[in-house]
Amino acid sequence: MTTNPDVAASGVTTNPGAAPPNPAGQDMPRSISVLVFMRDRGIFVLWGLLIAFFAFWCSPYFFTVDNSLLIANAAALTALFAAGVGIGVMTGVLDLSLPGTAAVASCVCGWLLTEGYATWIGLAAGMACGAVVGIVNGLITIRGFNPIIVTIGTLSVLSGLAAVIAGGYTFPGLNQLEFMGTRRYLAFGDSFTGIPAPVFIVAGVFVIGTIFLTRTRDGIRLMAVGGNAEAVRRAGINSNRYLVLGFVISGLLAALGGLVSTAVVTEANPAASPAIIFNALTAVALAGVALTGGRGSLPRVLVGALILATITNGLTIRGIQPYWATTLTGALLLGSLAIERVIQSSVSERLMSANLSVHQKKV
Amino acid sequence: MVATTPALELSGIEMHYGFVRALDDIDIHVMPGEVVALLGDNGAGKSTLLKVMSGAHRPSHGTISVNGKEHTFHAPSDAAAAGVQMVYQDLSLVEPQDIATNLNLGQEALRRGPLGWLGFVDRKAMRRSSERELDRLGVRTAPMTRPVEMLSGGQRQVVALARSAIRVNGEAGGILLLDEPTAALGYEQTKQVEALIRRMADQGIAIVVVTHDLPLCYEVADRLVILNRGKKVADLLAAGADRDHVVGWITGSRESMFPTAVTS
Repeated sequence: MTTNPDVAASGVTTNPGAAPPNPAGQDMPRSISVLVFMRDRGIFVLWGLLIAFFAFWCSPYFFTVDNSLLIANAAALTALFAAGVGIGVMTGVLDLSLPGTAAVASCVCGWLLTEGYATWIGLAAGMACGAVVGIVNGLITIRGFNPIIVTIGTLSVLSGLAAVIAGGYTFPGLNQLEFMGTRRYLAFGDSFTGIPAPVFIVAGVFVIGTIFLTRTRDGIRLMAVGGNAEAVRRAGINSNRYLVLGFVISGLLAALGGLVSTAVVTEANPAASPAIIFNALTAVALAGVALTGGRGSLPRVLVGALILATITNGLTIRGIQPYWATTLTGALLLGSLAIERVIQSSVSERLMSANLSVHQKKV
Repeated sequence: MVATTPALELSGIEMHYGFVRALDDIDIHVMPGEVVALLGDNGAGKSTLLKVMSGAHRPSHGTISVNGKEHTFHAPSDAAAAGVQMVYQDLSLVEPQDIATNLNLGQEALRRGPLGWLGFVDRKAMRRSSERELDRLGVRTAPMTRPVEMLSGGQRQVVALARSAIRVNGEAGGILLLDEPTAALGYEQTKQVEALIRRMADQGIAIVVVTHDLPLCYEVADRLVILNRGKKVADLLAAGADRDHVVGWITGSRESMFPTAVTS
């Protein structure tokens, strides 16, 4: 590696005249590029391997259009909540109040629909709940409180509120919401029954979210606040505004998740299940989104959620008890942590030695 | 480099913490394009003085002028608005983001047209302008798309310095305050940062650098200002300064250059 002439360009040359042309991205040794690729895209490879494995093991039932739609639909809810948790984590806050937000949003919507209001009013009110919860979480957190404790507090408040709204019961029979729950669209001929609505919603959320985080000024600043809030503040940006924005987005996604799950079962349930947050966190962690913030991408979070659904689906087809799916997911998560650690440290090691060799040669 | 008004001038600065005099009647100035090294032992008042310059501390007495105009700094943002930028030792960069994003943070270029109204950034323009700025400073770092976390310590420091340089360059005669810019760096990396400091000064930026690193001073500084126990004990040109004398002033074993200095 020390003899690679391309490496020379990665060093800071003190003499402008001697600076070699430096085509972007071409100056890293191949081994580092491969490792970085594995670190950033490894989860896609993992998912591909899982699919290939189940395709053979569960042949001929696994690798079919119907089954892939089943997996996509099963992953949809986890993916929505995982997007909320993920964007929060990337902004540097772990929002644990998501189940509460989802419960309140679905109960408010259910109550309004039961009272006979128009469907769009119910949905808008539900989403508004998410935004309000996000703002409240954010405004408390920027006073210098730990976001985890704050959102645990709001989680309790919200699950209590949801039960109050529902009066201890549920709001059943919300058939108006079927259009975003179990209905399928784009049916084609007799064989293809269409794609379930939640899949479209998830696709929309992830496309918009990814573009927002990587292409727009506010998205980039949001990620920067997660990476180093102090640096952002010193750049003259009000970093607190972006912290609140992160909470609002995660609240909105939680509310959306609550509304979609309500639509799927046509019943608004005030129970705020903590399992939601742990599934979402598993998907986020599997996606390699560092809990320290500023890192990660939504497509990876989506694949994280899909991996969870794929494992459950494959094992179910083989008739294996569902408990094994949980066990396997946990083992996979631990394994991916170990691999990530190894890759990360060897990347920094190689970069270090590459840089050192540059300086010895150059000056 | 003939300029008559100092870029930054502090006169009669005193700083009291209760009965402790951290700074005692300090006069110091920096001309545009000049590098002044602020030397002194631990507790001599270097960092306090730097904090006064950067607006983090308000002096008990004394005045601060930027380009001949008197200012009162209530907060670092006031100093920044007047053209005084502090480059922090702890490298205030966003590690997971690439170089171009870091250099442009807070002044991102937006796309033209409707996409720009939606807040879409023009990554290409940001990359190009970052490359241009770094070329102008004569530092070719890694590609602009490289995340900062994948840079060496020296490269990071260069990016941090370049970012501050770009920021102060907007106003005429910007002032950069550097606190131990080479503290965590190896020999070669220190050389690079030295060269960058020189080049920034050549572009007319006034630079105050606080350091323990004496060789660095002789390399980059035009003038040395030495503090001892809150007093200015020496103010001399770096070229031709007797190194033993400098060490003597720093440790306090040598008499002050200003023996008759009267506290006002």
